Amino acid sequence: MATTVISPDTDVVTEYAGGTLAREQVSLWRDGLRRLRRNKLAVIAMVFLVLLALETVVSLFWTPYDPNLVGACPTYAFPSAQHLMGCDDLGRDELSRVMVGTQVSLAVGLATAFVVLVVGVLVGLIAGYLRGWIDALISLIINIFYGVPPILPAIALYVLLGRSVQNIIIAISATAWMDMARLVRGQALSIREREYVEAARSSGSKTRKILFTHVFPNALGPIIVQATFSIPIAILTAAFLTFLGFGVPPPQADWGGIASEGLQSLQAGFDPYILLFPSIAISLTLLAFNFFGDGLRDAFDPRQKR
Amino acid sequence: MTRGTLVYIVQRAVLIAFTVLVVSFGVFYVVHSLPGNAFISDRLHGRALQLLLHQYGLDQPIIIQYWNWLKGAIHGDLGISLVTRGAAVTPIVMQELSVSAMVGGAALVFTVGLGLLFGVLAAIRQNTWVDYLFTTFAVIGYSVPSFVIGSLGILVFAQWLNTVTSGAVYYPLPWQGTYGGGGISTLISISLPAISIGLYTSGQITRITRASMLEVTQQDYIRTARAKGLRARVITIRHALRNALVPVMSIMPSTVLGILTGVLVIENIYGIPGLGKEFVESIFTHDYNLTVGVFTIYTVLIGVANLAVDLLYAVVDPRIRY
Amino acid sequence: MRLSRMRICGTAVGLLGVVTVAACGSGGGGGSQSGQLASQQVLHFPTYQPPGTWDPGEADAEVDTEISQNVFDNLWRFDNNLNIVPDIATTVPSTSNGGISSDGLTYTIKLNPNAKFNNGDALKCSDVLYSWSRSVDLQGPYASNLSAIAGYAAAQSAAGAPPASSSGPGAASTFQGNIEAQLAKQVPAGSGSFVPSGLSCSDPETFVVKLASGCGWCLTAWTLEGSTGAIVDEKAIQSDPVTWWQKPVTPGCTDCMVGAGAYYLASYDSKVGFKFKSVSNWWGSPKPTLTEIDIDVHDPSAIAGDLTAWEQGHYDLIGYGGNSGNLTYPQIQSVKGSRFSSELLTQPKGRTTWVSFNIGYPSTGGPFLGESAAAKGLRMAFDLAVDKQGLASTVCHNVQCQAATGGLITKGLIGYLGDNQDPLAKFDPTQAKSLLKQYDPNGTLTANLKYSYNAGGLNDPVAAYLQNEWQQNLGVHVTLDPSSDASAFINNRLSGKYVMSRDGWQFDYNHPQDWFDNLWGYKATAAGANTSGFDDPTYDSILKQADAEPLSQALPLYNQLSKILSTDVVYIPLYYSVGNFVIASYVKGAGSNTAFDYYWDNISILSH
Repeated sequence: MATTVISPDTDVVTEYAGGTLAREQVSLWRDGLRRLRRNKLAVIAMVFLVLLALETVVSLFWTPYDPNLVGACPTYAFPSAQHLMGCDDLGRDELSRVMVGTQVSLAVGLATAFVVLVVGVLVGLIAGYLRGWIDALISLIINIFYGVPPILPAIALYVLLGRSVQNIIIAISATAWMDMARLVRGQALSIREREYVEAARSSGSKTRKILFTHVFPNALGPIIVQATFSIPIAILTAAFLTFLGFGVPPPQADWGGIASEGLQSLQAGFDPYILLFPSIAISLTLLAFNFFGDGLRDAFDPRQKR
Repeated sequence: MTRGTLVYIVQRAVLIAFTVLVVSFGVFYVVHSLPGNAFISDRLHGRALQLLLHQYGLDQPIIIQYWNWLKGAIHGDLGISLVTRGAAVTPIVMQELSVSAMVGGAALVFTVGLGLLFGVLAAIRQNTWVDYLFTTFAVIGYSVPSFVIGSLGILVFAQWLNTVTSGAVYYPLPWQGTYGGGGISTLISISLPAISIGLYTSGQITRITRASMLEVTQQDYIRTARAKGLRARVITIRHALRNALVPVMSIMPSTVLGILTGVLVIENIYGIPGLGKEFVESIFTHDYNLTVGVFTIYTVLIGVANLAVDLLYAVVDPRIRY
Repeated sequence: MRLSRMRICGTAVGLLGVVTVAACGSGGGGGSQSGQLASQQVLHFPTYQPPGTWDPGEADAEVDTEISQNVFDNLWRFDNNLNIVPDIATTVPSTSNGGISSDGLTYTIKLNPNAKFNNGDALKCSDVLYSWSRSVDLQGPYASNLSAIAGYAAAQSAAGAPPASSSGPGAASTFQGNIEAQLAKQVPAGSGSFVPSGLSCSDPETFVVKLASGCGWCLTAWTLEGSTGAIVDEKAIQSDPVTWWQKPVTPGCTDCMVGAGAYYLASYDSKVGFKFKSVSNWWGSPKPTLTEIDIDVHDPSAIAGDLTAWEQGHYDLIGYGGNSGNLTYPQIQSVKGSRFSSELLTQPKGRTTWVSFNIGYPSTGGPFLGESAAAKGLRMAFDLAVDKQGLASTVCHNVQCQAATGGLITKGLIGYLGDNQDPLAKFDPTQAKSLLKQYDPNGTLTANLKYSYNAGGLNDPVAAYLQNEWQQNLGVHVTLDPSSDASAFINNRLSGKYVMSRDGWQFDYNHPQDWFDNLWGYKATAAGANTSGFDDPTYDSILKQADAEPLSQALPLYNQLSKILSTDVVYIPLYYSVGNFVIASYVKGAGSNTAFDYYWDNISILSH
């Protein structure tokens, strides 16, 4: 893992006003990607994630067995050549169910990251740049939920809205954007004081232009990192939700739900592999996202201390 | 305690109160809007059900019900349970709070202790296999969800150990501890859950401790050790560790949050009679006042914990002044 | 483990002397059961649900009444074979002994003059009058047990809705407090609108009940333990009508769980556990041998650990307290394969599960509505396509349930038709397919069927099995519609918002009226409990007649009702529940029948 070194490129460039912006961006990206490529763990993680995405797409069209076909094999069958992950308490093929479970996890992860990016960045920019009563209101909202573990409002919202994958996404995103907003607000607050921003403002540029051509690109590094890390957090929260019993309705299968069934089977006296396989799947996926996120952070946001 | 600190504490207290208000109303509204209720059964329906609902004031508008609840809550009366008819919610919630606090507290001690230990060891033996081992362990730690570790714990310590030793040694699943009490049985009962919760958050602490120790001392203690011997090395490590505490404190709020989330999930797995289990159960059984009561206490607990952490942060880092 | 524990004890005694003997726990010397009573008569077992309410006027759940039946006595009780025997009353009234008048409308009941409450208060007729009136006024789930009494409807409306000014958490106390206040004025006189006019005390030892119409099932219903016929102490309830049943009993206490049974509540913590102790010099019989009952409240997931604890002697039995359905199949198998196999008790329980069709609620729709040949034919098709024996063996391994082949009334209860006597229990896939082709040749009517059920326990594998059967034997795909919220599911089922639904009934007392009144026909419809909507003038008139006559004459009529249900294909029978208990061999007198766990005053602990 790289040590904390501040790249001379980015630092020097930000001191110039206006026109050097294009060069700054190219440097950031090229530098960052180069650093990322050198980080072996991050590369392995990326490959895994690409494979995972591929598997998700495949599972939309094909799985070894129908994941909801009851009696595809004897109940609680031990893993075998025909059923690589064995079968669950209703005789459904585990492998197919775990494959299908990826759909929910990735959908929740990516959709939440998208909402976090769009809503969180916008709100944070507006609050941090415009200040005033808008900032006070937004900060109040963020501070109220600062002390609430995101899983609690997620559960509350989810039971209210009813069970579906869509509603899990809504329930988790509802509080997930706040961390991003707070980060972006902080960035906006400091960037707006920089000379070139002041210069742009005094020369009469519109707020929108300033925000998106000056403020946003300079905060891009931490934003990307935060957005990337919001994916495993969302997947984890969704897994908690479904594990606790607030699951997605059948026929959709999801890892948390399968793991929960597995634990119940385990405590009833059956074998543990129904529990083990989705647990391994979740852990590997989260591990990959975390390694990848670490790599991204080292590459694009080297100022941050680890 | 300076005046500034006092003002800060008051500000935070007001924020906590405000949060509790918003959050409690939100939860109140949500649970009362769910279809179904705590009473209906094969035998209890129709007119008898309507009477029971009227008896407990459950057919009034939600705002009025909330107002009545709030009036009581300010005086510490969180209402009555609908499932265990008539039982007062406040003593139940307090009892469960003591259990959750025990488990959460144990998890906190474990996570900080383990995190610091591994971080220090990794920093001392930087770039050796020890370093890579602990750092990888840290990342794995916060990638494996706590319910996975918890489930594995049950598998290994409650089942396999039981089978392997023919029932002589095993982790007893039914909660053996007493409410708010100590004793060996309580300690045993919270050990596995605390570890399951704490492993997850210890990863971040390990990494931050290691990074900050490295930053503070660079290669100093290795050089010093070679030059001056063991004792100086120990002193350097202690000095480095104290400086490492500052960034560790800075992530305490998110650690506490992580632990409280973990407590919620782990309690449900291990059947620990605490706030987390009550929260989930009361949602399924439509025991409205219990759900709202637990949520409220949870919020107050987090608010107070965060405030305590921030104040402690000021003690540890002299640069911070409120 | 018990044997090795004793060996250790023996060795320890030899090595370390007296101190260790004390630490070795209950029982005495190192012999196996000698038939002698242990010195410590304490029964220890876990329960997996905290109590809902033990108030006989409001109690509803089996887990509650299995415990409260030992604290509250009724005028009569059921013995272990479900025969009615005297309890607080001195005899079981009948027309032959004059206890019941010749027209069947007046019951004269003599009370045992020795009967006392467990806090020392005397038990007089005024307490019986109070108890029954209170049960009517509270209108809890079993108030209908008393519905045949003259003046029931008037008392019901008098107690009616709680005062309009009630609000918030205090409302419960206001409503019940109001009832208590009225009853305090009207009892023991037996007058006033809150006391049904048919109840009175002709003297402090004689209770008189007048019915509005003939009732063959009333005596059985009044005997239902822990329920509306139970006798409670007015003094002990008045000061706290809502939570009196949670408070431990001390001599002369008011505001505590006072009953006339052999045991009283000694300590209570709804989330941790409770203790009951035997009443010294109890007036009833058999005199209690057990001095203390310790019940721990556990999370259901802890049952595996509890089973191990039982094997090691920390618990004396598991399954009491309404928990006979908690042992899982692998656990049952492991007990069977161990040296504890003789201590496993398998007991059919009075609960039947079936599939109901939406017959009478047109707003929901579905092909099963009404009594046309097509509707009946389709219902029959779906019924014959299910292999009931296969279900019992695949899903329950014949250990947790048995195929329901003798009608809906559970085997062992009065009204059971006999093994394989229910024509709907047949499995005939060929006939099923031909019926389907006849009545739904294009498959359009059965295209969007849903089977609704509440998720959890056996319900999921049962649903999966049914779906499979209909797919394989009929070629029809039925979507599963699980509900994770039991109360929302019950709500929908009661209002007929389903096409096919899991349905079931836990019997309350051993009389067919319990089933036929509550599930189908005009009475069920009036109570809002007719889940299938089946209502038929013939059924109703036979039901009215059967309810009025004594059981011996009514039974053939009830059997006719069974036939009507069968011919009309109102249901698909699935299974009868089977309970599983583990009871240590040194526990004597413990066990269970179809209805309830044997009373605690039957039980004693042998030395071991």
